[in-house]
Amino acid sequence: MMILLGGSQMKKKIKKLNLSRRNFLAGTATLAGIAATASVAPITIANANHSEGKKGLPDFISWKDRDALIVHSDKGIETHRSAIGESLVTPNRNIYIRNNMPTMTDEQIGNRMDWKVSIEGVKNPKTFTIAQLQKLGHETMATILQCSGNGRGFFKHKPRGSQWKTGAAACVLWTGVPMKTVVDACGGINGDAVYMTSAGVDHVPTGLDPKKAMIERSVPKKVFKDAMLAWEMNGVPLPNAHGGPLRMVTPGYFGINNVKHLGKVAFTTQESSVKYMKKSYRISPIGKKGSQYPSCWEMPVKSWITRPTDETGTIKAGKVQIVGVAMGGTKKVRSVKVSVDGGSSWKKAKFIGPNLGKYAWRQFVLETTLSAGTYNIASLASNGSDKQPELRMENRRGYAHNGWKDHSVNITVV
Amino acid sequence: MKITKFLLISLFIFLFNSQTSFTDEAKMIKGLEIFNETAACAGCHILKAAGSEGNIGPNLDTVEGLNYASVMDIVTHGLGVMPAFGEDEILTKDQIEIVSFYVANSAGK
Repeated sequence: MMILLGGSQMKKKIKKLNLSRRNFLAGTATLAGIAATASVAPITIANANHSEGKKGLPDFISWKDRDALIVHSDKGIETHRSAIGESLVTPNRNIYIRNNMPTMTDEQIGNRMDWKVSIEGVKNPKTFTIAQLQKLGHETMATILQCSGNGRGFFKHKPRGSQWKTGAAACVLWTGVPMKTVVDACGGINGDAVYMTSAGVDHVPTGLDPKKAMIERSVPKKVFKDAMLAWEMNGVPLPNAHGGPLRMVTPGYFGINNVKHLGKVAFTTQESSVKYMKKSYRISPIGKKGSQYPSCWEMPVKSWITRPTDETGTIKAGKVQIVGVAMGGTKKVRSVKVSVDGGSSWKKAKFIGPNLGKYAWRQFVLETTLSAGTYNIASLASNGSDKQPELRMENRRGYAHNGWKDHSVNITVV
Repeated sequence: MKITKFLLISLFIFLFNSQTSFTDEAKMIKGLEIFNETAACAGCHILKAAGSEGNIGPNLDTVEGLNYASVMDIVTHGLGVMPAFGEDEILTKDQIEIVSFYVANSAGK
């Protein structure tokens, strides 16, 4: 239904009041507080790089490949299923975007080499610039970056948030300094620490209450052993849109724990008390919520077909290469099976390409012959300890979906 | 007689539609006020129709599948940094319905 108002009448109502803006920017007002005020100005901070850019992408990611992406909103952009698996490492131009805070601008970041991160909860707390970190150590590793809600679009109760299917995931080569090297440079972790807690600073320019807006995530302390402070992504300086100039990488853990625009890493006895740790990203039953439920931490074993799909055009009868990606979560993926009959029978697929380590995904292929007809193609991965379940684990926010049935694809062969 | 009956039916339809339009128009005006002022949605969202340029949450003109029910749901329960305007009683149920109606009928326009 379209509602039309008289132009002058509407224009009168589009007021740009500015009484509350100062409080908002100064960080003295919470969102709830702002809501209680009589008026507020539309805020233009950080908007310069977020207007709708060319090709239907926001300006801050106008360099991405529009054809590879599904735009759920300007802050939720998914990779097409068929644009994810043709090479082992997902190209930056194809990688999904999921930002809880506005991406920081070059002006806000300043000189990238001068960017600072403080290390706390260690014997000798220190603050390092990126230039100093680059003198400490240098390493490259591959991990999977996956949004906790990847697969949410399959849940029947339609949880709030972007309706991702398979494309809020990527396999990325990170370059930076191992967290263990940084910890050693600080004399080691304080004895009573239980968590590694990473905090971003992208909320700062918004002026919002840090308790509600700061992305601060705690993970079990042991994660530091394989973690990295990364300044490069797939061979280029870490793009602002992906958390540049410095990002925490927590291998095997969901994307939210890979904190962008990193400003602090602390080894703590308690989990962070900010909303994004305490309330958000909790895997709770439908209709329930609270910090007593598990946080989105370790990713489960998972796989999905990337070709052929309904996106990849007409499939002709005869020999077909069924291609996909498989991940083991925090363990190495051991095997993957493929079914062309909706799970009634399975054949073992072959891993292809180099093995970039247990935190990267493996590509797989099954060569088969299909005659004309319709098929349901599924994949089922195992890491030796766990294998993908058939069905999704129902939960309120649609997190951590690794059921093989929903991820299957229906194709028609002619 | 037939003409009288036709005129009466036409008058009824006219009055009914006028009343509906007025109600919707009133909701749009009030909804804009709630969006820009009472609830300060404008501080966090771009919505061209409202002249808002906030950039914390998604640009509402770009949100896929946005409709009255989805806006009602998110405004009521919140999401991420967005407050739960209903659960936390920041807005009344009527206000949520009106601002949701406004956003659903303004986004992308």
